[in-house]
Amino acid sequence: MELNLNRVDYIQVGVTSQKTMRLLPAQGRKTTQKVAIADHDGILTCFGIKKGEAVPVFKTLPGQKIIRMDLGGAVGSPQEKIFVCSGSQVRGFTKKGKQFLTFEANLTENINAMHVSGADLFVCASYIYNHYCDCKDQNYYLSGDKINDITCVSSENLTRLSPVLACQDRVLRVLQGSELAYDIEVPGPPSVLELYNKTRGDELLYGTTDGKIGLVQIGEHSASSKWEIDNDKKKGGILCIDTYDIIGDGVNDVLVGRDDGTLEVYGFDSSNEPTLRFDHVLSESVTSIQGGCVGKESYDEVLAATYTGWVTGLTTEPQKAEAGPGDEVRMSKETQSKVEALRAELEQLQVKVLQGREQYQQTSQSSTAVSAVPTFSINDKFTLCQDDASYCLTLEVQTAIDNLLLQSDVPIDLLDVDKNSAVVSFSECDSEQPNGNFLLATYRCQANTTRLELKVRSIEGQYGTLQAYVTPRLQPKTCQVRQYQIKPLSLHQRTHSIDQDRPMNRLSLVGQFSFAEIHSWVVFCLPEVPEKTPAGESITFYFHNTFLGTQLEANYCKGEGHFRSDNISTISILSDVLSKEATKRKINLNISYDINDDSVSHTLRMIHPKLEFQLVLARKVQLIDALKELQIHEGNSDFLIPEYRNILDESASLLEEYKKQPAHLERLYGMITDLFIDKFKFKGQNVKTKVSSLLEILDNYDLNSLLDFFCEA
Amino acid sequence: MLVPIFTLKLNHKINPRMVTIGKYDGLLVFIHNPHTRAQRPVSHRLSQSAQDSDVSLLNINQAVSCLTAGKLGPNTTGDTLLVGSQTNLLAYDVHDNADVFYKDVADGANAIVLGQLGDISSPLAIIGGNCALQGFDYMGNDKFWTVTGDNVRSLVLSDFTGDGKNELLVGSEDFDIRVFKEDELVSEMSENETVTALCHMHDCRFGYALANGTVGVYDRNARYWRIKSKNHAMSIHAFDLNSDGVVELITGWSNGKIDARSDRTGEVIFKDNLSSSVAGVVEGDYRLDGQKQLICASVEGEVRGYLPASKELKGNLMDSSAEQDLVRELSNRKQNLLLELRNYEENSKACSVQGVSESSGGVGVIPANTQLQTALSVRASTEAQKAHVELSISTPNETIIRAVLIFAEGIFEGESHVVHPSAQNLSGCVRVPIVPPKDIPVDLHIKAFIGGRTSTQFHVFEITRHLPRFSMYDISSDSDSAEPPSGRVTFSISERPQRVVMWLNQNFLLPKGVDSPDVTFTSLRGGGHLSISMASSGQITLRTDDVDLAGDLVQSLASFLGIEELSSEADFPEYFEELRTTLTEVDEFHSVHQKLTAAMADHSNYIKNMLVQAEDARLMGHTTTMKKRYRELYDLNRDLINEYKIRSNNHNALLACLKSVNLAIQRAGRLRVGKPKNQVIAACRDAIKSNNINSLFRIMRAGTASS
Repeated sequence: MELNLNRVDYIQVGVTSQKTMRLLPAQGRKTTQKVAIADHDGILTCFGIKKGEAVPVFKTLPGQKIIRMDLGGAVGSPQEKIFVCSGSQVRGFTKKGKQFLTFEANLTENINAMHVSGADLFVCASYIYNHYCDCKDQNYYLSGDKINDITCVSSENLTRLSPVLACQDRVLRVLQGSELAYDIEVPGPPSVLELYNKTRGDELLYGTTDGKIGLVQIGEHSASSKWEIDNDKKKGGILCIDTYDIIGDGVNDVLVGRDDGTLEVYGFDSSNEPTLRFDHVLSESVTSIQGGCVGKESYDEVLAATYTGWVTGLTTEPQKAEAGPGDEVRMSKETQSKVEALRAELEQLQVKVLQGREQYQQTSQSSTAVSAVPTFSINDKFTLCQDDASYCLTLEVQTAIDNLLLQSDVPIDLLDVDKNSAVVSFSECDSEQPNGNFLLATYRCQANTTRLELKVRSIEGQYGTLQAYVTPRLQPKTCQVRQYQIKPLSLHQRTHSIDQDRPMNRLSLVGQFSFAEIHSWVVFCLPEVPEKTPAGESITFYFHNTFLGTQLEANYCKGEGHFRSDNISTISILSDVLSKEATKRKINLNISYDINDDSVSHTLRMIHPKLEFQLVLARKVQLIDALKELQIHEGNSDFLIPEYRNILDESASLLEEYKKQPAHLERLYGMITDLFIDKFKFKGQNVKTKVSSLLEILDNYDLNSLLDFFCEA
Repeated sequence: MLVPIFTLKLNHKINPRMVTIGKYDGLLVFIHNPHTRAQRPVSHRLSQSAQDSDVSLLNINQAVSCLTAGKLGPNTTGDTLLVGSQTNLLAYDVHDNADVFYKDVADGANAIVLGQLGDISSPLAIIGGNCALQGFDYMGNDKFWTVTGDNVRSLVLSDFTGDGKNELLVGSEDFDIRVFKEDELVSEMSENETVTALCHMHDCRFGYALANGTVGVYDRNARYWRIKSKNHAMSIHAFDLNSDGVVELITGWSNGKIDARSDRTGEVIFKDNLSSSVAGVVEGDYRLDGQKQLICASVEGEVRGYLPASKELKGNLMDSSAEQDLVRELSNRKQNLLLELRNYEENSKACSVQGVSESSGGVGVIPANTQLQTALSVRASTEAQKAHVELSISTPNETIIRAVLIFAEGIFEGESHVVHPSAQNLSGCVRVPIVPPKDIPVDLHIKAFIGGRTSTQFHVFEITRHLPRFSMYDISSDSDSAEPPSGRVTFSISERPQRVVMWLNQNFLLPKGVDSPDVTFTSLRGGGHLSISMASSGQITLRTDDVDLAGDLVQSLASFLGIEELSSEADFPEYFEELRTTLTEVDEFHSVHQKLTAAMADHSNYIKNMLVQAEDARLMGHTTTMKKRYRELYDLNRDLINEYKIRSNNHNALLACLKSVNLAIQRAGRLRVGKPKNQVIAACRDAIKSNNINSLFRIMRAGTASS
């Protein structure tokens, strides 16, 4: 079934956070719904659409920025009370805009997730979960990693409401009272939770920051995964999910909004598998999404709010006929009046702005005045992309970006992203002291670019900071700097478990350090470790290397730490960094190694298929042009041996594969060289002189000769 | 919304920029070129569907470097196909399947254009090679010749001056667009990258594309608009796509995008995407229905044709509805203004609350009277640093400069240069060394991030400074200390010395300014000297060993003073000596070339014999003899390949020499302005043709052949 949706822009408010727009339930005979949206200026706006124009119902005064919004109401009645949270405060409004509740949660941190159900209020600050009933404290839980979202599951099978927390360490935690009932492992850091069936149900949808979606069924003591949608096309991370039957086949469809501006509708086929039915790309992140009926009676639509505060509908209402002579006449009266009103408003604003500008200019004459321009908000994300083991930096600003300066004090590669239209220019940099810059690049953006996406490739063992200076096109001109840590083991990612059968090397530390101290070192070395020191005596984290597939186990407690990895280079980097950190704090460390020689050949064997694949690919790609030439010359390719004919047939996919992984081979070579040097470092030998012969062997690659070389040298 | 009227897939690759269209015998032929072949999908007169087109191949056997088609001869039935390679030009009559002429062109053919030039009666095929331009008529006669500054990359015929006759526009690798009225250079425009494509728009307007992804439109010698993309423009073409009577600039990009931009504003009025890089954009009546279509071809062989929009569309070729966009744009503007207003409000609030005393670290509060001071100065080389022009930027108070971005064209590797001191070395003063690689005037757009030491937000100060053309020359106080350069140019002007002083002050970076026109400079690039002196009679003498510099100075001074004709006497002993050696080398390379060609002919005869013998042996069943013969053949083949390598090296060396000879003529021309300049170039050409080297040097010195 084909789904055709037309885009309509309704209104623009301030910058919005994730999940801050909801549709109020339809009232009485009227079928169009009102929209409530809250923004960073602290304004809660409620509006309806009349004749294509947004008519406000109410608007609150500005205040602290609003992070979440939820709808609630007494059980059994329409859920039309609006709850918003800002700072550590939760406020409730009626659908008319009357404030009936102000509740101070008394948390030390700001609330970042909230759920309301009847008289129950669930709030989460970064690590803390709190449950209030009728504003009285009920339950409390401290999570091991940051909480991104919360929702509650209730069904016949469950005796009571069970809250589910989406935690950064790739698990969903199901709570029972103040206790953890059990946790569910999910394939990425979950960012959003939504019930599949809004009123009742135990089926829970989750979306991850790396763009995966899944459905789990929550039971009393365990959960089962129903389906999962992978992120093959490398779209953005999930920010919001909703379910609504927009297709009209009687089954609720899944509506998804992503942080790269993609908006998707998944329907279900006969075998109950989710399939993509519709997608649309907006220019900025989609922060909230909901299905309903807003613009016109009896036309369903998908309503989305974006980062800069646009409320956009994708409606099933067919667009008015496009054709017809005359451009001006065709514009409907409504839009015409809309445009005129806007123009008038603009003129007024222009006058005000001019006054403001003049005043600002005048202050520059005075010697006592200061210039303090308020900060603009930047929505940024710096994540490791599992597929090509590179970091993806996305920056989004509420207004158009003028230019971006990237600076790094570690050697990194900046990769081109097709989606970018900005003109990049690399500047010569002096990696030597005193400035120590390894990368200086400017992006000059085209008009109306509010979102930039960059790819950065790091090298394990080289650590430092990447800084981004963002200058938007806004007077008076200011720029903001954002810092991103490139950690020593930057290509590692948390996993739930590791394969214990592999030959492992061990690094053990013993010394006079506290649990908090060693935890801070681990945070320094590895990504995706919570900054807060974990509760309990000791802790174990598992990681895997996204590039090579090797693994790492970190287990530590007060005065003792054990790190096990099948990759000797990982151990070497860890030992270097940890001892350096300890020396900084003047702590004496007793470091011991347990090196397993089998691990090196094991790692080489793990690299082997990747390396061989890359080598074969490179060779095939090299042949494509020549073979094509032959084919044209001879008119057909029948005379070629099947192998070559195959290359010709697959040439398109080969080229695509080759393009996808730039410099892959060089990276593999680099890692093998590191492995070689590290192996002998632990034996106390310096083999840097032999690296050239190693490279020679790699040029005529053969696994056995490489293994021999590693053994002999 | 405009949609393609036809799309077809050729199963052949097309080389970038090698697409042309011509009409042959009532059939329409559309020509591309992969490697060494030209192929022609032919659509027949009666076939409506473009799918019926068939492809025929034409084997050229040489790497084709440029391609065009058009009417060359007076009596031919169809268009003539012109194929240029690095060594020759072939005019081919497709209808008769016969060569019209075949010419060796030593300077190579990088670009080709066909049409009427100035007052020359017959259409010319003009090719641009290494620094040289050559025009041939249908007989293959050399009707036109001149030199230009560097390797030619693009050519177009356009009525630049608006006098009803075509001028030749030449884009070259030294980033210049030059306009020739026949062989007289009438105008010159400097860009900041290699000019890869030019196209005539209408009246005096023309479009251009650069290697760095810039496309734009000039009206005579004033740039109308330009845009820059991170992709490269592969082909540009003028076509009236929206039927408003004015052509648009159609650009085919390396990422497969095609866009049409209004010639007035550069606004995109239409875009479409091909699956791979665009190879060329042409127009022609491909369907033979009397309407011109815009035809785009991609390197993978995808071809799309577009008809101009019908009147109903009213120029609205994009699919998204205009009203939505308008509302959105207005709202965006409103939002922007609101934000700006908020900035001012918050700022005045901050002022009243804080006063000047406290600055809260993060926000980056700075005193409102902070002003950025910039200064440009020339720094001679020291042990630590090479000679450079120094741009110093400083703040008057305790605020620091976190980073400086300088956007400028043509003087940095990219389009920007960044200075980012490490956190320990932050201060209120930043010195940026700048080394302009060429003598060009540049505007430096400086953006400095000013704030406190721990700020995460900075104020951005934007300042534009002008870097004068001859900034890399340091004035020397004592002119006697160094030996004066041996090269010199002398010419007379009828202007007051004050005007020359003005020119000096504007075009050189002088700390104090000068008041007399007699000055001496040291070049920061080579360390050579440059002295300028003016006698009371108005005679100016420039002393330098750098011919290019002398030429630049003469041109700059002449344009400053508005001099239209200027003849001069010049002597550059060192350079002339070099040129003399080059000329002898050219002779040597020529003779080596002939020898090698003879040897190659011998070898190919051998091969023929050998092959016959080997095949005989095979037929007779003498395996051993056959093997032996083939082994010999293999050896011979190897010899041939080696010889080929020698030959190609020799050829490249020859090309380099020829280029430097052409360049020398161009340089000699640049020492003069107007008519004297053209006379010098023409006279030099004659001298070279007649191989009269002494007269060549005499011309270069005196400016005329007769002395």
